[in-house]
Formats: sequence, structure tokens, C-alpha cells
Amino acid sequence: MTGAWSLVASLTLLLVLVGLVLRNGALLAMALPYLLFSLLPFWQSRPRPDWKVKRELIPDSLMGGQPCVVKVELANRGKDLEEVFLTDLLPPDVSVEGNTEYYGPFRAGGVETLSYTVRGVRGRYEFPGVSVTIRDLLGLSRDEEILPCPGTLSVLPAADHPERMKLFPRRTRVFTGMIRSRESGAGVEFFGTRGYVPGDPLRHLNWKAGARWDLLITNLFEQERIADVGIILDARSIVEIQTDEDSLFEHSVRAAASLAQYFLGEGNRVALLVYGNYIEWTYPGYGKQQRARIMAALAGAELGEHAVFKEFGSLPTRLFPAESQVVLISPLRGEDVVPLRYLRGLGYRVLIVSPDPISFEKRLLPQDGFRELAESIARMEREATLAKLRRSGAQVVDWDVTGPLWLALKGAAAERRR
Amino acid sequence: MISWAKRAASALSGGFLMALLFPVGSYWGGAAGAALNLALSMAEKFPYFLRRFLPPLVLLINTVLSAYGVLTGGLVTWAVLVAGLSLFSWNAGLFEQRWPQAPLPVQYRYLRRIGGILTLGLGAGLSAVGWQGNFSLPFFLAFLSMLAGGVLLLRLVSQTLPKGW
Repeated sequence: MTGAWSLVASLTLLLVLVGLVLRNGALLAMALPYLLFSLLPFWQSRPRPDWKVKRELIPDSLMGGQPCVVKVELANRGKDLEEVFLTDLLPPDVSVEGNTEYYGPFRAGGVETLSYTVRGVRGRYEFPGVSVTIRDLLGLSRDEEILPCPGTLSVLPAADHPERMKLFPRRTRVFTGMIRSRESGAGVEFFGTRGYVPGDPLRHLNWKAGARWDLLITNLFEQERIADVGIILDARSIVEIQTDEDSLFEHSVRAAASLAQYFLGEGNRVALLVYGNYIEWTYPGYGKQQRARIMAALAGAELGEHAVFKEFGSLPTRLFPAESQVVLISPLRGEDVVPLRYLRGLGYRVLIVSPDPISFEKRLLPQDGFRELAESIARMEREATLAKLRRSGAQVVDWDVTGPLWLALKGAAAERRR
Repeated sequence: MISWAKRAASALSGGFLMALLFPVGSYWGGAAGAALNLALSMAEKFPYFLRRFLPPLVLLINTVLSAYGVLTGGLVTWAVLVAGLSLFSWNAGLFEQRWPQAPLPVQYRYLRRIGGILTLGLGAGLSAVGWQGNFSLPFFLAFLSMLAGGVLLLRLVSQTLPKGW
């Protein structure tokens, strides 16, 4: 029953009670229209609906910002319904274009289709079902029901395409790839010379060195192989800065997706560790399947504020193969220097991509003298932290998230060459 | 079409209210009730919160004023007519809020449905007025009906109130 029915029924009872108390038949006569009105829902038979619901998501997996067309088809296999209100229940944080509701009569055997477009930022979006409200025309009775019609939309993080990067891990794997292995063999980069051994190809003879030493000298080339790359995404909420439309963590996720895609494209074995609420570990692997696994893990990555993972001291370094390349994506705090130095001391090559929190947060603050002072102090602290990490042998890329990632990586590579 | 029927019903119930209350000397009550009914007939021009609360408020006030008119010696026929027309204008207002652009066949079906039940209600009410004084109500039946009605009323009121009251 609805609030409208309660109002009429209350007035009916009130009039009847007052009429009985005062023994006034006129009031009882006056109550009769109200009484018949409030008895109407009991007289009418309530239709028993029989629904068939089908949901279609086209496509059900896409990159952030891309549109997904949702089609929900409802078929009424029961009796005629006079007034039906259908709403497709939406997951939070999706933007919608189009109509997610239907209001009107629903004939027996009829089919209604709700069709609209949704866009998500990142993550798994669950569509629970369709809410159906059936009313009679007078609005005195109402039946509500949620028809389960689940659907899952996976929005993967959008990835950039970085230009070629040079990594120098201490140890590489046996398969041919794009990373210099510090071992001589088949390759294109000059590695060194040694005395000729029968069987060496004659085209590798170094004639100039031979003329100088009066010996046969062979050129050696550096083998290029694939390597193990471990990507660590910092998901500690302590380093997160969020605005209404933007989040520093989303930029970190995007950088992780871009780098994972790039390293896998080069044939490397890539693993992912999301470090925040708990240790979310994607085992090392190659190829397109691994790319899909990593993208799915990044799509579900969430910020965490677990006390154990507040510092990088709990970083599970043994998950990564010894002397491999580790790529850390983190805005960084001053306290992070020591654990990262330790990581470097264990023999890992460390590349740190650090989204700049100061330039990100600067936009949110009012323009005045205090902001400039605060910014210069924060900038000095950050520079000191980055300098400490660089001195310990880590490669640091300071990334202003308003610019593209590949530009920051290119700038860092040029700086390293100098 | 429903909006015109609602306007006509509001205007008529205002008129019947004046016809009920003016003869018993309650000029202010009659005028205020008629003004409220006229306001309901033009409710489309009001802001949303007024549009939402005006129909139940007018129904409540019309009922109270009609009961007052009957108790002070007014003509019961007018009171029954006011009750029927108030119910119609209130329910038509609700229907318009729920479904502002209802298709014409749906409007016809709605008018047929509410017309049927109101005709029945008004017929029963007016017949009861005609038979007034021909029935004597036994005390125990009246007492039990009062008790059951009181319990139902309390339950209804407690269900209607928002949680936390």
C-alpha cells in the first residue's frame, strides 16, 4: 500500500470514529466515499508479473573513457500492467548518456528495451539488476521488485605508448630480446675484442687491431636479451592527493599500465605488485595473456591505508628475481629513501617514476604568497629526497602529471647520458 | 484532460464548501476552504514543493471543514459532495505528478476507474443521508467498531510517519 492509501484510510477511520463517538450518522454517511476508496485495493486483483530480463554490454571490457553501450531487454510474460516504472540500477561512479528509465503501461507479451551509454574511469563495474515498481492507476497500491540481471563492465586503465627506454639490469634471461646483457655473443653493439679462435666468422675480424698487434683479433658483440621487470605500484593512501575530477593515484595507475604494456611489448617477463592495503601480486609472465592479467589487476587496484604497509620497509623483495629490474611508481615521501636504498643494496636495478605531488596539488591552492613559500619549501624537500635516491644509484624520473609520461622518461634518459 | 477535470472538481468542491459553511455562519472557514480549492486548481503554476504538498493538504482541510460543517448543522448532502470531489481532485493531482504526459487512452482509463468508484461512493453516501434516522446502532457493535478502528488508525499513523519520529 502507498502513502496515499494510508491518508484516505486514516481519514475514513477518523470520520467513522468521530461519528460513532458523537453518534452522528451524517459523519458516517460522509465517510462512505472515503471507505470505498480505501477498500478499492483489496477488491482489485493484483497482477502477478512474470518477467524475462536480458542485459547486453557492448563491449564488456574497454579502456578508460571509452563508451560502453548497455542494452536491457525486458519482456512481460504475465498479464497487462497499467503503470510500470522501470529503472536500471547503475553502479556508482559511472557517467551515463541516455535514458535508464521507463514509465508507462506494459502490455502482456510486450518487450521494452532500455539503451544507454556509460563511461567509467577504471575498475570493475557491477550492474545488479532492474528495479520494477508496479502501481495501480489510482496510486493506492504499489509493488516493488528488483529483477536480478547482473553484468560486469571491466574498464582497464588507459595506457600511453612510451618511446624506447634503456634498462640495464644486472642479470638477464636466456632468450633474445632488446636489453643489453653484458655478455658477448650474437648482437649488434660492440662489446670488446679477443684473439681469433678457429671457427670465428672472418667478417668479425678487427683488421686495424690485428695490424697493430700483429695478431688476428676478433670483435665481440654484446648479446641482447630479455629481462625480468617487476613493477611496483604505490597504492598507499598516505601519498594520494585527490580533487573532484582528478587523482594522483589514477596517474600512477596509468603510468604502470603504460610501462607494463611497453615492457611486455619488448618481450620481457613482467610482474606487478600493488602495494597498499595488502600485497596484490601478479606473477611474472610474458605476452598478451600477461598483459591482460596485469591490466585486470590494475583495473581493480585500490588505495589502502594498512598500518603494515605504511612504509616501504615491508616491501616483499624476494618476490622479484635476484638482480632484476624493479620499476617503482610512487609520488615518494622522505621516509621512503632508506627502504629504497636497501632495495638497491640487494642488487636490484631501480627505476623510480615519481608523479610530482607538488605541481599536482599547487592547482588546488589559492594564489598567494603563502602558497609560493610552501611550494618552495616542499620543492626543496622533494629535490633532497630525489637527490638522495639518485646518489644511491636509482634512476629517478620526476614526472609532472600535466605532461605526458614519455616526455618525462625521455628527459630523464637525456639527463642520464649527460 | 485530467487537469481540466481536476480543475473543475476543485472549483466545484470549493463552491460546495461555501454552500455548506456559509449558512451556518462560518464565513472565514468557507472562504479559506474555497481559496485553497481554487489554489489546487491552479497548482501547475506553483513551485514543486507546493505542488507536492497541496493535494493532500487540501483533502485534509476539506474533510475537516466538511465534518465541522456537518457538526454545526450544515446540509449533509453538500458535505458528501465535497468529500467525493475532494477525493477526485486530490487523486488526479497525484496522478498528474506521477505521470505528467500520460497518453490519452491511459487518461480515459484512469477517469473511468476513478469515476466508477466515486459514483459508487457518492451514491452510497447520499443514500445513507436519505436513510438517516432509520437505523439504530447497537451500543456493543459501535463500541467494538470504535476499538478496532482506533487500533487500525494508530497503526496507519505509525506506519505513515517517517522513521525516527
